[in-house]
Order: sequence, then structure tokens, then C-alpha cells
Amino acid sequence: MTRRMLTALVALVGLFVALYLALHKAGVIGTLACGTGGCETVQLSRWATFLGVPVANWGVAYYALVFGLAFAATTERWGNSPGLDFSLWALTGWGVLFSAWLTYLELFVIHAVCRFCVVSAIAAIALFALTHVERRAGAKR
Amino acid sequence: MEAGRGQPKAVVKSVQGGGKRAFYLTVAVLLAGGIGTLSYMSTRGTGAGLIDTTIPPIPNQGHAIGSDSAPVEVVEFGDFECGACGSFANLTEPDVRARLALTGKIRFRFMDFPLQGHPNTWPAHLAAWCAGEQGKFWEMHDAIYQNQDRWATEATRKPAKVLGELARQIGVGMEQYQQCMSTEKYRPQILANSQEGARLGVNVTPTFIFGSRRLPGVLPYDEFKARVDTMIAEARAAQGKKQAK
Repeated sequence: MTRRMLTALVALVGLFVALYLALHKAGVIGTLACGTGGCETVQLSRWATFLGVPVANWGVAYYALVFGLAFAATTERWGNSPGLDFSLWALTGWGVLFSAWLTYLELFVIHAVCRFCVVSAIAAIALFALTHVERRAGAKR
Repeated sequence: MEAGRGQPKAVVKSVQGGGKRAFYLTVAVLLAGGIGTLSYMSTRGTGAGLIDTTIPPIPNQGHAIGSDSAPVEVVEFGDFECGACGSFANLTEPDVRARLALTGKIRFRFMDFPLQGHPNTWPAHLAAWCAGEQGKFWEMHDAIYQNQDRWATEATRKPAKVLGELARQIGVGMEQYQQCMSTEKYRPQILANSQEGARLGVNVTPTFIFGSRRLPGVLPYDEFKARVDTMIAEARAAQGKKQAK
């Protein structure tokens, strides 16, 4: 299994986590209610929306894009495409920064932690680590 | 610096074969597992259910709007710092009051259910009761929900000032209000309401009690009305059976 394949698999896991949060926010999964769970508190906070779109929906788009690019990078046709590794590296770097901002909000502003957001943050870090190593390895080749 | 440029084809080809098959298989398993899990979660129960009527009630008192002679009563267990309760209060409740409670179809009762995860909710519940002491519970209830973003934990660690401003704006006598707040006069009533909620199996807010049915989550007006219609029909049928006997 190559790093690009691992990147695609981690992105797929992140995609399902973001999809769960997006469906929860939309009321398709579970009910829109407050409980003892941190996810409800986070999802119902004013920080759960970014530029008028639920943060979870941004997550779905982000992970889908990373998955698509990483998957393409595993094919013979796109494997040698110039810029693909750089695009993945830049995209996942942005993902880590955005996740760090969301984690800060959870810990110090909303005062609630959603376990699914934690999984997403870990996936974001793993994706950046994988694409960073892949990019460095590519530069040496 | 773009990786992959000038990379020999052999590098790409090396990922083919057995490794690639394992990769496609893992993608397929993840896709199937993810879709299956999300489908299952979208169909499982939400905490709605029937109330155990064998447990004795706890003496409690919420705030009701509507006629005492209304055929049925709908109870909301709510938390003032809960965003979902705020959505219901601001979007659905005005219609519930105007079209159902004030027309005599139902009596709508608000019961306190302050959640532990909301540090600022207790002052808000106390403020509503202290305003209620001066006949302004519903005005304060509405002001609290409409201004949730000003006094909730995300906005401040000291909600008393904003709540006091809201009380003043709706015309509450401030001397009596401040005394009521400082002594936490209505803490026992709020606790009793909360205990009643726990007895009825409430664990999230808002939760609505339609007769013997418990329904958690924000309800749009049409769904709320449909539940009320069912409840009234059942009440009439039960009355008809009594009269027949």
C-alpha cells in the first residue's frame, strides 16, 4: 500500500465522518436537540456555520476533493501528473490549519468537544503528514 | 516543486498488482461500511416513546399559556441556553401560541430542564421565574431566547448583566427582580420541574409531551399541529367511551 493509497483511504474515513456531521446538522440523523453530548452543543453553536454554509458541509467537500485527488494519484494516467502532490500537500495543509482553528473554538470558546470533530482533526493531521512525506520523497526522486 | 514530474513510469506501475487490488478492496469495504452505518443511523430511534405512567409524579409547576379549559395540554421541557430550544421558541412557538393556545385548542406549558453542559442556563431560568413573579414570564422567556447570543456561555461568563438589561427592557421592577435573583428564590421550583422531566424520561431539550407520548427535538409547526390533532381526537374518543359506559 503506497502513501497515496493511504491518503485516499484516510480521506474516505474523513469523508464519512463529515457526512455524518452534515446529516446530523440537517436533521436527517438524530434529532436537532441539546443533550449532554458535546456534538449537539458544537453543532448548535454559531461557529457551526462558515460563510453561510454548515462547517460539516465544508468538511464533506474538502474530504471528497482530497479523496478524488489522492485516488487519481494512484492511477497510471494521473500518477505522474505535475502538481498533483503539491495540490494535495497545499490542500491538506489548509485542512490542518482549519481543523486547528475549529479545535481552538471547541476548547476555548464553545467549551464542548465533539468526538467526531476530534476524529476529523486526527484525519486532517494524518493526511497532511502523508502528503508532506510523499512530496519530500517525490522531490528526492 | 511538483512531485511526480520526471518520475519513471515504473514508480507508478509498482503500485499496481496485488497492492492495488488490496487498495480497491479496502475502498469498497469502507464505502459499503460507511453507507451502511449512515443508513442504519438515519433509521434508528431518537428517544421518542411512551411515558411510564406507573412512576408517581413529582410536585411541580411550570408556566402555561392558554385556557384552563382547553381539551389537551402540551408540555415542553426546555433549557434556555439550548440552541435547539431557541430555534423552536423563535420559529415555531409564535404559531403554536397564536393558532393553538390562544384559540383554545391547547394549553401550552413550559417546564424548566436546565442541562448540566450549559453553565449560563441557571441564571436565565431564575431570571424568567423572577420576571414571572411580576407577571412577565412569557415576555422574559421570549427575550431570553431572542437574545441567546448575547448572554450564552459562548458570549459571556457573566450573564446576569445582560439578563438584567432584558428584564428592565420588558418593564420588570428591578428592585424586586434583583432581590429575587440574589436569593435564587425559585431554584426549588426549577429543580422540581427538572426532576419531573427526568421522571418522564426526558434527557434532551426540547422534549415535548403530547399526552402519554414523549417527543424530543425541534418540531416544525405542521408536525406539532398534526400531533395536537391526534391528541385531541384520542381525548374525544376516550370521552366518548366514558359517556357510552
